[in-house]
Amino acid sequence: MAEIRIEGVSKLFGDNYAVRDANLTIRDQEFLVLLGPSGCGKTTLLRAVAGLGMADAGQILIDGRDVTYLPPGERKISMVFQSYAIFPHMTVRDNIGFGLRMNKTPKAEITRRVDEAAELLHIEDLLERRPSDMSGGQRQRVAVARALAMQAQVLLMDEPLSNLDALLRLEMRAELKRLLSEVQATTIYVTHDQIEALSMGDRIAVMRDGVIQQCDQPSTVYSEPANQFVGSFIGNPPMNFIDGTVHGSGGDLVAEFDGNRLAPTAETSQALERLSGAAVRLGIRAENMQTLSEPADGAIEVTVSVVEPLGSQNLLTIDLGGNRLKVSTHPTFSVSPGDRVWLRLPENHVRWIDPETELVVA
Amino acid sequence: MVAPTVKRRRPLTPYLLIAPALLFLAAFFGYPMVQGLILAVYDDEAVLPLLSDPGIEADSVGTLPQGTGLTVLDQRANLIEDEITSDLLTEDWFRVSALDNNDQTVEGWAPETRIRIREEAEDGTPLAGTVRTKLAAGADPQTTLFAEASESADVAAKLDARTRVRIEEIATLELWFLVTPQADETEVDQSLEGWAPSRFIQVFGEGENGRIDRGTDGEFTWRFVEKMTEDRFFGPAWRTTLLLMVLILPIQFVLATLMALIIHARLKATSIFLYIYSIPMGMSDLAVGILFFSLFTGNGFINSFLEGIGVLDGPKSFLSADTRNWIIAAIVLAELWRATSIVMVIIVSGLQAIPDETLEAAELFGASYWQRVRHIMLPLLRPSIQVALILRTILAFQVFAVVIALGGGEVVTVLANETYRQYFTLRNTNVASAYAVFILLLSIASAFFYLRAVRTQDELSKT
Amino acid sequence: MSASEMQPSTPTPPEGPSLDVAERRAPITWGRIGTYVGAVFVALWILVPMYFLFSMAFTDQETVRSYPKNVLPFVPFSTSTMRFFLESEGVASGLANSLIVALLSLILSTALGAPAGYAVARYLFTGRDVFRLAILATRAFPIVVLSIPLAVLFIRFDMFDSLISVALMHTVLALPTSILVIASVFASVPYELEEAGQVFGASPLQSFRHIVLPLVLPGIAASGVFAFVLSWNEVFAASVLTLENRTLPALLLNSLSESSDAYQFAGGFFLMVPSLIFMFFIRKYLFNMWGQVSK
Repeated sequence: MAEIRIEGVSKLFGDNYAVRDANLTIRDQEFLVLLGPSGCGKTTLLRAVAGLGMADAGQILIDGRDVTYLPPGERKISMVFQSYAIFPHMTVRDNIGFGLRMNKTPKAEITRRVDEAAELLHIEDLLERRPSDMSGGQRQRVAVARALAMQAQVLLMDEPLSNLDALLRLEMRAELKRLLSEVQATTIYVTHDQIEALSMGDRIAVMRDGVIQQCDQPSTVYSEPANQFVGSFIGNPPMNFIDGTVHGSGGDLVAEFDGNRLAPTAETSQALERLSGAAVRLGIRAENMQTLSEPADGAIEVTVSVVEPLGSQNLLTIDLGGNRLKVSTHPTFSVSPGDRVWLRLPENHVRWIDPETELVVA
Repeated sequence: MVAPTVKRRRPLTPYLLIAPALLFLAAFFGYPMVQGLILAVYDDEAVLPLLSDPGIEADSVGTLPQGTGLTVLDQRANLIEDEITSDLLTEDWFRVSALDNNDQTVEGWAPETRIRIREEAEDGTPLAGTVRTKLAAGADPQTTLFAEASESADVAAKLDARTRVRIEEIATLELWFLVTPQADETEVDQSLEGWAPSRFIQVFGEGENGRIDRGTDGEFTWRFVEKMTEDRFFGPAWRTTLLLMVLILPIQFVLATLMALIIHARLKATSIFLYIYSIPMGMSDLAVGILFFSLFTGNGFINSFLEGIGVLDGPKSFLSADTRNWIIAAIVLAELWRATSIVMVIIVSGLQAIPDETLEAAELFGASYWQRVRHIMLPLLRPSIQVALILRTILAFQVFAVVIALGGGEVVTVLANETYRQYFTLRNTNVASAYAVFILLLSIASAFFYLRAVRTQDELSKT
Repeated sequence: MSASEMQPSTPTPPEGPSLDVAERRAPITWGRIGTYVGAVFVALWILVPMYFLFSMAFTDQETVRSYPKNVLPFVPFSTSTMRFFLESEGVASGLANSLIVALLSLILSTALGAPAGYAVARYLFTGRDVFRLAILATRAFPIVVLSIPLAVLFIRFDMFDSLISVALMHTVLALPTSILVIASVFASVPYELEEAGQVFGASPLQSFRHIVLPLVLPGIAASGVFAFVLSWNEVFAASVLTLENRTLPALLLNSLSESSDAYQFAGGFFLMVPSLIFMFFIRKYLFNMWGQVSK
């Protein structure tokens, strides 16, 4: 059992908050991804959990034990560093066995666990080599093997794939996911790559400017973002936003944008009522809009400005009022720049955002 | 959102880590540096105050500079309360007890000169003696004992010559002189008259004349600087220092650049070449002076070679007093040999900072090797060359052993050599400091000159 | 340098020409041959004078006095010049003094420079840049200016003519460079390595001992060697600060006018030998030492 609880953790750099009042509970054996743009504080938070930069406020508990002020070595954790931090003066075997040696594990046990970890990562042949003449991918495997050999309950990973080239990253991503499901450790994984986050995490915590914006399952974070930032940061292309206004109340509540009207679903109307008479922002994902080649009831007439065939889909760029929308269509949908098409926005896929707070209202 | 309560720490660790080095440099670099500057312009023995009475606590009536000629008007001996070790003009007095010619026990003070010591303790302390016979004709044959250790004190008793005395106590007295400036001392206040302890005054002849040997109070003065500029070696020293720089630096920088380009060319044996080229960096100017002495000396290799190929009929004397130019040539060669390496290393690190792509781009646009050197490398090397110039010039001011090794230090001399001569041979610490400060000022001036010269070029290239 | 070893490198593609610049072989051209010829000429300019001096130091005194000189190596080879020098008065103690002073300078400058270098490399603290700049500036001050007031100071504290005082002076000269070199050596070891050590159960001290120390030791040794060579060579301060307890350079300098050629040549040999040996060990760090100045 190793549940990690982060309670009200803050970290200052000078007068600036790198992390501000972070609260997270990571369940035993859960794979949590900390996602955010660079400088959002995700690595700082991870390092606070590791004990590499002490939290200025708040508490960190691992398996119910308060580790806030413990040195990293006593937290029973293991870590993969962004630059791998392979010790250049030791062989691969000594690197992987380093933590076990420090913990005074019996020699035979070290050998067994190093071999085991090396086998898991297919680097048995490298064991007696030194890291200086190894490729980035090989070093990465050594770093992961070193972390796994500890058999710690908590595994921390700081952008472990960011220094690999695209193809290798794809391969390691799948392999890491398999390995981590085997080792059954509670994992915090820091990345700025939303694809990595969506494909690997049990849950994703999105951070921005030191503050956790949303923490939920990948599908929820993707389809029901808590605010405009999460919607725009996750997904490729990012969520589309259309500015408009809301009028009326109750069942007559309607949103108006660029001369078009859209009635929200019954349950969202209630939440939207307090914005009535004010501005509203609609958020909708590219794949959730229907593109029609001829007028239809409730469809908006728009002009296509760019067509990008991507193989599995065609991505259209459309100007709607002052907003530029990205719309994905079936690859067989034939259209050229300048053509008129009709868009339908299914109201159950539309997210309603208060432009003042940028929070999703419904 | 409520701001969380936050503990803030100011890490002390880095300050603790640099503290030893910082304290060390403050004690052995900062403090002496300031002292050095002071030594050059501050004479801590410049003036002697004259006192109203013969005693340390008396008031000063005025001061006279060191070296002033004096007329001694009076003298008096004072008991020394504290132990003062330095060159004192002193007089020892004994408190003695004896039987006088009336068989009365008498006691009193007499100067050491009046008692012949007959008995000493193991540590040399006199215990007993006899009164000396007075030789001068017409003098009182008896020796006076005084109530206090002073000839102006009351007479306590009189003893005949050869009377046995016990020495009870010894007192050391210091002479004080009542002095006034001599008539030919026109630059000082003639009316000044006061007392001064004898240890600061040199007395001539019968004790009527003297001069102030050293003062007790300091004074800022240009005396040492003047002494330096009036020194007969000062002119030759700075002229030769600058001449050597003008001769050495241009050739040195061309040579260093060529060496750096060779290293940068990534030949197969680059690491061997780099090693060989950097050997002279680790050598003292003394070693290199001896090295070139072995080449240039009368029976050295250059003479052997030149005679071998028939240029000379017999050995030529390169390093003698009347071949000043040959000595300078030898120094130039020695300095080129020794100090080009450091310039090379700085230029090589400058070259390494130039991205290969920049040079490849130039090559792509058709620049030949020398065009690349001229238009890409040299302009980008300007900061490195500037640093090398500053460093090299500062080091050049300090060279002196090579000059002594090749020329003996008289025929050809440089500023650092004069500093050494003033300090070591002539024992003029202050003048040596003046030379040192002069070198420091020249170093700073040349650093500023190079910084300016390079910046001006930068500004020109922008317009 | 070790810094480059620690950069994660991307694997080179197995086929096609390697893009690594160091691997690229320039074609043999006349320019290239010319460069080799130039390189050899410069090497000869440095080596030949040394060869002449060394051949004088290892021959008999008769040959040292003879004229014209022979250019053949060490003919006749003899240790008599060396023996004469070593048995001369003051030489044995001068060598010992030089060795003691140089070792003291090495120890002092490393002991003081290593913590300071670590602080500069590892901590961002207020005044760090000022400290760095001050250190750079001290290197620019002439020895000459420092020696005389220090001599006055040492006389006042009754430390004049002692090996300690010379070592203190030499430490002043070596310390700024030691700090900068050691700082650059520490900076070349990523802090993440230390952190990794701590994460895997090492205490900060263990982490330093097992991970950082093995990586920085060669560099720190180089800075120590630098201090040693500097001290071994230093003439001015050693001459000013000593009278009886001369170091070898001070002894040689003050006996130049009354000593024989054989004595001088053998002495020159002893002054040069450390440079030959130590330059070999610290050549990798030369650029750390002097490249730093331009930054």
